[in-house]
Amino acid sequence: MKEKTQVADIDRSLYDFRYEENEGDFLDSGITPEIIKAISDEKNDPDWMREFRLKSLEIYSRTKMVNWGPSIEGLDVDNIVTYIRQKNRMNTDWNNVPDDIKETFEKLGIPQAERESLAGVGAQYDSELVYHNVRREVAESGVIYTDLESAIHDPKYAEIIKSHFMKLVPPTDHKFAALHGAVWSGGSFVYVPKNVHLDIPLQSYFRLNAKGAGQFEHTLIILEEGAYLHFIEGCSAPKYYEAGLHAGCVELYVGKGATLRYSTIENWSKNMYNLNTKRALVQENGRIEWVSGSFGSHVSYLYPMSILNGRGARAEFTGITFAGEGQNLDTGAKIIHNAPETSSYMNTKSISKSGGISTFRSAVVVKENAVGSKSAVNCESLMLDRISRSDTVPVMDIRTKHCDVGHEAKIGRISDEAVFYLTSRGLSEEEAKAMIVRGFADNVSKELPLEYAVEMNNLIGLEMKGSIG
Amino acid sequence: MIIMGKQKLNILPVPTYNWLGVNYAERDISEYETAAEVISAAENEEKTCLFWVDDNAASEVSIQASENSYVKLVQVFDVKGQAVSKVSAELADNGRFELVQLYLGGDVVSEIDVKLDGRKSKFDASIGYKLGDSDKLDLNLIADHKGRKTESVIAVKGVLDGDAVKTFKGTIDFKNGAVGAKGAEQEEVLLLSEQAVNKTVPLILCAEEDVEGSHGASIGRVDEKHIFYMQSRGIPEEKITELMAQSKIAQVVNKIDNEQTVKRILGRLGRGDDNE
Repeated sequence: MKEKTQVADIDRSLYDFRYEENEGDFLDSGITPEIIKAISDEKNDPDWMREFRLKSLEIYSRTKMVNWGPSIEGLDVDNIVTYIRQKNRMNTDWNNVPDDIKETFEKLGIPQAERESLAGVGAQYDSELVYHNVRREVAESGVIYTDLESAIHDPKYAEIIKSHFMKLVPPTDHKFAALHGAVWSGGSFVYVPKNVHLDIPLQSYFRLNAKGAGQFEHTLIILEEGAYLHFIEGCSAPKYYEAGLHAGCVELYVGKGATLRYSTIENWSKNMYNLNTKRALVQENGRIEWVSGSFGSHVSYLYPMSILNGRGARAEFTGITFAGEGQNLDTGAKIIHNAPETSSYMNTKSISKSGGISTFRSAVVVKENAVGSKSAVNCESLMLDRISRSDTVPVMDIRTKHCDVGHEAKIGRISDEAVFYLTSRGLSEEEAKAMIVRGFADNVSKELPLEYAVEMNNLIGLEMKGSIG
Repeated sequence: MIIMGKQKLNILPVPTYNWLGVNYAERDISEYETAAEVISAAENEEKTCLFWVDDNAASEVSIQASENSYVKLVQVFDVKGQAVSKVSAELADNGRFELVQLYLGGDVVSEIDVKLDGRKSKFDASIGYKLGDSDKLDLNLIADHKGRKTESVIAVKGVLDGDAVKTFKGTIDFKNGAVGAKGAEQEEVLLLSEQAVNKTVPLILCAEEDVEGSHGASIGRVDEKHIFYMQSRGIPEEKITELMAQSKIAQVVNKIDNEQTVKRILGRLGRGDDNE
């Protein structure tokens, strides 16, 4: 009989705690012009934003649901609460954050991480940011890291936000981008001036506590020429039986010669529909590096897009997806080569177990003007049992002869030969298999920030069972 | 059965982003001349069939390969106008199906649907294309692995010139129960013009643990190392590109045993004096 490797489900005890919300804090569920206006009133939106929200709602109403990808039938948007009012305003002093929220983030280790290894932290609880802070020396270098809503009301940034907000991901992009345009709330605004290198990362952490609610944060990052930033995004929510919805939007503008590293660890609970849209516009010799770990959610649609718009621009995407019981995770990336000598590299791993479904979906488009461009895609999938599913759906659309495009994909199980080799060198079969699974994920996990890499190793905690022979 | 009228053909087994335009091809085949062939190979029988496909044809070839049988199908699409083709095959235990297809022009929508139902059944596809001007090819190949220890090897090689547009969708589908199955798919595309459009969509669908699947694609110009090597031996660059293009097609033509057909193909490619 063949030995089976048992990979334990992700331990969610760290995330599955929650606090009660007061009924009065919720706006009605569903999406109507009245609710959108109420959100605008609540936020004291400028006129252009009021109009933008209503226009997005119109687009939402007339846009059809996607006709590909995992089923989202279990999601009833009319029952999702789109906005939850916070009792307190945003704080820059941790001590002033309300106790229950403070305790939530302390359990998740956010303030500790800030003290030890971050240049700045933003924490969003349901619809609003509750805490935002940057180190003094970072602020002095001209870096702006604030919540998007304060920035909209600040005369210094209002124009820059108006000219960038949902310009990369317009509400017409797809139904949930339109929904985001109508009900967005919270999120961060980051601006890194010319030639400023931030050696330590900034981090935003999103926590959805309320039951049957949606989170629609908007992240807008602008890097000027020659700037460097590492931005980390973490997401989690406790488990409820009602479906939750995350339809965030991330817009990244990477200037000439600038580099942005954007790391995400998504660990929503398994009742969440994660329909997130992320897009980066990269100018001449700029560079975007995506590091993406997808572990949570019931259903995920997540494909960060990089538009390489200037000569020599570069995109790298490193991703890992772990689909367990009850999960259907459709992840991947899209890269548009829209300038000469651009290059892209995609490296993904996916693991399916206990009936989980993981799909790698990608698009590499090399346009007529992308002369001298190069692209390489490598995806590997590991099936840990025969009740799970793993699909690979890549598309390459190539429109110039002056390019080199390569694609490689592999699917399989733990190789008996590898196990045999390792056991012949004195490892037990259990150790050998554990080592192979860790090794499979290794080149992705080493790209993760340290604390997340440790978390991921814990997530892929291995348990072996069965006797040899 | 061939259904007439405007319809969606070559449907991608798992649809993806609509904006890429690869989920299906649409054609009205009311005006087409239709032909349907059934090729049945009895137990232990070996059969080879050759079809030369012309203009405005809607052809369907169904293959039944019984236990331990072997069927080889060679199809040459020498089309100026439009053509629609479908090849479907069902393979029993140890049944083998070898498909050789060559596309030399026109506007062709072609589907290949192979069911590897029998234990240890095997499917081998060698597909070549040389397209230029305003040629169009939409190719949808599905290898459905249901039987244990089934194997598919799909090799596609081609050259695109002029305003040619080619979409190759190749799917290896490991169904639950296809224990020990193997599938490998490889496409090499050489682009010779600025206007040609190449779309490559290699899917692997997997619902079984004990399988091995792989796909690879390499798209673009002639490898610089090859150019350097041949230039260092005194071959001019234009000639090198021509040689590389010829070699892509030659690898498929070499699989055709019929001397007359090979001559006709080489004549069609303007290489009548070639004694390959």
